[in-house]
Amino acid sequence: MIVNFVQARANTLNRGRSARFLILISLVTVVAVYPSWGSYYGLTVVRDGLVLGILALSLDFLWGKAGLPSFGHAAFFGLGGYIYGIITLHLDPAFASIVGVLAAVVAGALVGLVLGLFLLRAGVRGALFLIVTVALTQISHQVATSWSSVTGGDSGMIGIQPLGVGLFSKNFVLTDVLGQYYFVLAVAVGLLGFVWWICRGRYGRILSAISNDEHRAQTLGINTTIQLTTALTVSTAIAALAGALYVSMAGFMVPDLIGLVLSIEVVMWVLVGSRGSLIGAFIGTFFVWRLSQEVSSFEPRLWPLIIGAFFIAMVFLFPGGLIELARKAGLPFKQIRKGRVPR
Amino acid sequence: METFVVGVLSALSLISILALVSVGMAIIFGMMNVINLAHGEFLTIGAYTAALMTALTGSFWLGLLLAPFIGAAAGLLLEVSIIRYLYKRPIDTIIATFGVSLVLQKALELIFGPSPIAVGDPIPGLIEILGTSYPLYRIFVILFALAVLGALVFGYRRTNLGLDLRSAIQNPDMAAALGVDVARTYRIAFATGAGLAALAGALIAPITATVPGMGLPYLIKSFFVVIVGGMGSILGVVTGSTFIGGLETAFSIEVGGAFPQAIVLVLAIIAVRIRPKGLTPA
Repeated sequence: MIVNFVQARANTLNRGRSARFLILISLVTVVAVYPSWGSYYGLTVVRDGLVLGILALSLDFLWGKAGLPSFGHAAFFGLGGYIYGIITLHLDPAFASIVGVLAAVVAGALVGLVLGLFLLRAGVRGALFLIVTVALTQISHQVATSWSSVTGGDSGMIGIQPLGVGLFSKNFVLTDVLGQYYFVLAVAVGLLGFVWWICRGRYGRILSAISNDEHRAQTLGINTTIQLTTALTVSTAIAALAGALYVSMAGFMVPDLIGLVLSIEVVMWVLVGSRGSLIGAFIGTFFVWRLSQEVSSFEPRLWPLIIGAFFIAMVFLFPGGLIELARKAGLPFKQIRKGRVPR
Repeated sequence: METFVVGVLSALSLISILALVSVGMAIIFGMMNVINLAHGEFLTIGAYTAALMTALTGSFWLGLLLAPFIGAAAGLLLEVSIIRYLYKRPIDTIIATFGVSLVLQKALELIFGPSPIAVGDPIPGLIEILGTSYPLYRIFVILFALAVLGALVFGYRRTNLGLDLRSAIQNPDMAAALGVDVARTYRIAFATGAGLAALAGALIAPITATVPGMGLPYLIKSFFVVIVGGMGSILGVVTGSTFIGGLETAFSIEVGGAFPQAIVLVLAIIAVRIRPKGLTPA
C-alpha cells in the first residue's frame, strides 16, 4: 500500500517534470521559429527582450535562490555596457568585441567579488544590502553622467561595434538581426541552463539553506559569506554580460541604462515572473516589457500610471507572480523554493 | 573665513532639511520596518501644497501650515488602503509603494505639468553673520527644523502616544496584550512620518524646483540617513543627516559638479560597512 502510494507520487512527480520540460521546450521552440513570421521590428523586440531577460535571470539567481535582494542590477548591466563600448571604440575591430565582452564579464565579476568581500563579510544583508545597491546605482549613474571624457556624459556613446571576430583575414560580424536573434537566444538558453544546473545540486541546496536561515546554515558548517559572495559574483558577471550584449546590438550606450529606473524595472520583471523560478525571469521580462511598449505606443504619458496601478494590483491579486498564478491554475509548475523575505 | 561661515550655514540648512525628511523615514523604515518607496512623494506633495497655496492665496505660510496635514492625510490614506495589509510582506510593500510612487508622480505631472512651479522667497533679505551675509529664509529653515525635531523628541519620549509607539515597536504582541491599540498606533505613526516629509517638502519649495520627480533624491538620502545614523532612533537621524549633509556640502564646495553626491554615497556605504548598526544605534 505504501509502496503503491510512493509509486503513484513518483509518477505524478515525473509527469510534472516531463510536463514542465514540455512547456520549456515549446516556449523555446516558439521563440526559435518566431523569425519565420515575425517582422524585423518584432525580431528586434524579442532579441532585446531576451537580453534584458538575461539581466533579470542574473537578479533572479541572486535574489530568488540566494535570498539577496538587489536594487542595483542596472549598475552591473551598465558597467558591462560601458566597458564594452569603451573598449570597442578604441580597439582594432578584429578582436575588439571579444575583448570587450570578456572585459565586461571580468569587470562585473570583480565588482561583485569586491562588494561581497567588503559588504557581505561585514554582515550587510537584507534591507541594508538592498539600500546599498540602490546607492550603487545612483553612484554609477552619477559617475556615468559626470565623467564625460570617458563615458560621453548625458549623451552617451554612439557607433559602438557589433559583435564580431576577425579570423583568417576575414571579418565575421554579427550585424544582421536574425543572426543576433539566434545568438542571443542561444546565450539565453545556455545561461538559463547553467543557472538551473548550478542550483540543482549541492550548491543550490546550500543557497537555499542560507536564504532560509543563515545562522542555521552556519551552524551546519557552511561558510555563508563565501557562498553568498560566489553567488553575487556569478550574478554580477551575468548582468555585465547582458549589458555588453545589449550595447553590442543597440550600437549605443546611454546613462539611462545604468540608472535607478532600469534597476527597479528589473526587480519588477523578476517579481512578475515569480521570484526564484529562473524561467520566470524571461517570462516576466517579456510580459512587462511588452506591456510597456503596447501602452507607450498609444499613450506614452499614461504608461507609468498604468504600470504603477498594475504593481499595486499585483500585490493583492497575484502576489506570487505569473508562474505561481499558472501553478495555482493547475499547470504543472513546481512550488518555487526561494529565499525568505528580508527583514 | 567667509566661505567657512557660508559653508557651515549651508551645511546646517541641508542637514536640517535632511533631518526633517528622514525623521519620517526613521519612524516608517527604521522603527516600523516598512520600506516605503513612496516616501519621496510625501515630500513632493508638501512642496506642491506650498507652491499652490502661494499661487492661490499669495501666502506661503498658509501652505507651510497646511502641507503637513495634507501629507499626513495622504499617508493615512496609503496606510489604510495598502500598507496595513502588507506589514508581514516586506517585498510586496516595496512593489506596492513603488506603484504608488509612480502613480502619484505621474498624476502630479498630468495635473500640473512637468515644468517647475516657482515659489518666491517668503522672507526676502540677507542677515549679517560673522561678517558674511546669508539668506534669512535659510536661517529660518534651520531654526524651524530644530524646533520641530525638539517637539518630536519630546513627543516620542514624554507622551502616551510616544510610549505606545515605542512599546508597539519593541514587541507588538506584548503591547497589544497590555491594551495598546497597535494598529492605530502604526496608523498614526505612519501618518506622522508622511506629514513630516510633507512639511520638509513645503520648507524647501522656495529654495528648490518644485517638480513631480523631486522626491527621489531625498528618498535615497533619507534611507541612508537612517541606516548610517542607526535604525530606530531619533538621535540617529541627527547624526545621519549631519554625516550625509555635512559631507555633501563640504564636497560640493571643494569638488563641485555631480561627483560629491556619489562620493558621499560611497562614504555612506563604507560607514555602513564599518558600523552596520549605525553610528548611534538605538
